[in-house]
Amino acid sequence: MTSRAQWFRIHQDLSTGRRVFLKICAFVLPLALWCVVSYVPSIWHPDIQVIDVGDSAFFSPGMLTTKAEFAHQNAKLLARHERPATGIAANPVFLPTPGAVLKAFYTAFTAKPINRDEYTLGHSLWHSIQIIFWGFFASAVIGIPLGVLCGSFSFFAYLFEPFIDFIRYMPAPAFGALCVAIMGIADAPKIAIIFIGTFFQMVLVVANTTRLIDHSLLEAAQTLGARKAKLMTGVVLPAILPNLYNDTRILLGWAWTYLIIAELTGAASGISYFIYQQGRYFHFANVYVGIITIGIIGFVTDQVLAYLGKFFFPWQANGASFKSLFNFLLFLPRRPAKGIPRPAPAAPPEAPDADTQTAMEVSVARAH
Amino acid sequence: MPIELPDYRDKSPEVALRFERINHRPVVLHVDRVGKTFASRHGPVEALRDITFQVRHREFVCIIGKSGCGKSTLVRILAGLESTSNGRVLLNGRQAHEPGPDRGMVFQGYTLFPWLTVKKNVMFGLRCRGKFPAEAERDAMEWIEMVGLTPFANAYPRQLSGGMKQRVAIARALANQPQILLMDEPFGALDAQTRAKMQSYLLDIWQNVEVTILFITHDLDEAVFLADRIVVLDANPGRIEEIIEVPLPRLRDETIFLDPRFLAVKKRLEDIIYQTSQENSGDTEERFPIKREERLVRDIL
Repeated sequence: MTSRAQWFRIHQDLSTGRRVFLKICAFVLPLALWCVVSYVPSIWHPDIQVIDVGDSAFFSPGMLTTKAEFAHQNAKLLARHERPATGIAANPVFLPTPGAVLKAFYTAFTAKPINRDEYTLGHSLWHSIQIIFWGFFASAVIGIPLGVLCGSFSFFAYLFEPFIDFIRYMPAPAFGALCVAIMGIADAPKIAIIFIGTFFQMVLVVANTTRLIDHSLLEAAQTLGARKAKLMTGVVLPAILPNLYNDTRILLGWAWTYLIIAELTGAASGISYFIYQQGRYFHFANVYVGIITIGIIGFVTDQVLAYLGKFFFPWQANGASFKSLFNFLLFLPRRPAKGIPRPAPAAPPEAPDADTQTAMEVSVARAH
Repeated sequence: MPIELPDYRDKSPEVALRFERINHRPVVLHVDRVGKTFASRHGPVEALRDITFQVRHREFVCIIGKSGCGKSTLVRILAGLESTSNGRVLLNGRQAHEPGPDRGMVFQGYTLFPWLTVKKNVMFGLRCRGKFPAEAERDAMEWIEMVGLTPFANAYPRQLSGGMKQRVAIARALANQPQILLMDEPFGALDAQTRAKMQSYLLDIWQNVEVTILFITHDLDEAVFLADRIVVLDANPGRIEEIIEVPLPRLRDETIFLDPRFLAVKKRLEDIIYQTSQENSGDTEERFPIKREERLVRDIL
C-alpha cells in the first residue's frame, strides 16, 4: 500500500505520529491563515492606515479609512496642489494581527485597572468561573438524580419529562428579566440562568443515558438475586457512570454558552462584561483575548476531564488504573501491570487445555 | 449407500436402568401446561402452547427447536423474567413467579458486569444474599478455581476471551448453588472449537457439582452430546413435538459423536425438525431454488 493511501482509509485509524501531526495542524493552520491575512499586505487589506496626513485636514495620523475614501481625499488635495497623505494597506479594525492580540493578552492579564471599582481580566475570569461552577453544580446535584430516576422508573419519566421537555424549549436568556426581578442584580440571577440553561437538558440527557443501559445486565442481576435497591446501586449506577461522566462534560460546555447572557443580566460582570466593554471601545484585540480565553479554559477543562475519565473507569477499553495516574503524576517509570495474564496474544484465543485440565482436577478433588 | 442405524428408542439394559433411576428421583422443575401469548399490533401472537415436562434432580435436559419456536421465551419464563399466560412453573413443588437465585441463568451474551472484576462478578450473587465480603470472596475464589480462571480473578471481563467469559458466567450462576441452572444457548456465540471444548467442560462441571441443568440450543450435536432427555419444540405456536430419551451411556466424551446410537438420535431430530419446517411451508429460508447449470456442475465433478 502506498503511503498516500494510508492517509485516507474509510473508517480506519491513523498511526500515532500522523494523529499528533494532524492535531497540531488543526491549530497551526487557522493560526497560519490568520497570520497570512494579517501580515501579507497584498492579501485582502481593504483599508488604509494613514501615516502622514500631508496637508489634509480630514485625516489624523494612525487613522483607518477605506481605500476609496483615501483616494478621494488625496485627489482633492492634488487638485488644490497640496501635499497628499500617505498610508499603508491595513485590515479593518475588527481584525487585529496575531501579534497585537498576543500583546493584548499580556497587558490584559497584567495591567492594573485605572479606576478602583474596575477589575483586571484575571479577576473577571475568576468571577465567571465561580458563576459557572455554582450554576452547574446546582443543576447537576438535582438534575442527575432526577434523570437517573426518570431513566429507571417509567413512573418518574411520565410524571416529569413532558413538562421538562416543554420548558427546555424556552431559551434560558428569556428568563433573565424574571430572574433579576426575583433575585436582584447580583450573582444570584446569573447562577439561575446557568441553572435553567443546563438543568432541563441534563435531566433529559441523563434519563436517556440511563435508558440505554444493557437490559440483559439487569436481568442477569435479577437471576442472581438482586432486588430493587441493589439493582439501582449495584447495576444501574455503575453501568451508566462512564456515559454520565461524558454527558456532564458536554453539558459543562453548554454552561459556558449561557455564561455570556447570564453575565450581561442585571449588573454586568465577569469576562463577558470585559468583552462587551472592550468591543464598545473598539479594542478588538482585547475582545479576541476574552473570546480565546474562554475557548482555552473550555478546551483544557474538557481535555483534562476526558483524560482523567480513563482512570475513573478502568474497566473500559481505554481504561487505566489509578496507580498508573499517580505514577504518571509523580514521574515514576512505567511498570508493566502485574497480576493479570494477557489471554489473547500468546496463547490461542481460548488457552483452554491447561485450564480445563486444572479445573477437572479440582472438580474431581471436590467430588472425593 | 444408506447406513443402517439402530432405532433411536432402543436402549441398552444399562441405559434403560439408568433412566429408571432418573425417573425415581424427585422432580426439581415441573412445567405445567405453560402457554404464552404476546399482544402485537396484528393481534395476539401465541408463542407457546401447552408446554408440559419435568426435570428431575441432577438431570441434564436440552430443549431444541429452530429459531422462532419460542425456546428462549420458555427459558425466560422459567427464570421468572417473563410471565406465563397459562399454566404454571413449579420449582420443588412451589410456584415460582419472580426471578431468583434458586434458578441460575447463563445467557448467550455472557452478561458479565463489565465494571466488576472476575472475582467481584462471581461474588455478586453471594453479596446479594447477604454474605459478608470475606466469606463471599472465599467462596467466589473456590468457584473461579473450579472453572480454571484463578489467574484471571482480578481481570475485567473485557480482558477475557468469549469462552472464558462464559466460564465466569457459569461460575457466577453456580456460586448461588441454584436448584436448577438454566442455560440459554450459552455457547451460541463461540467458535466451533471453543464450543466443543465448552461442551465437554460443562459435562465435567455437571458431573462434579450437584446441579440440575436445563440447556437451550438449536445445535443438534450439542443437544445429543449433552442431554439425558431432549425436548423438541415445534414452532407457530411453540409446542412440544416429542421428548426423546437419549440412549447413550454416561460418562460421555468426544468419541460418542461417531456412535451409531448418537447418529440415530441426531437423524431422528433432523427428521422432526426438517419435517415440521416442510409443513410450515411459509418458511422459505431453508431451501431456495438455484437454477441448475449443467455445464458448471460438470466442471466440479
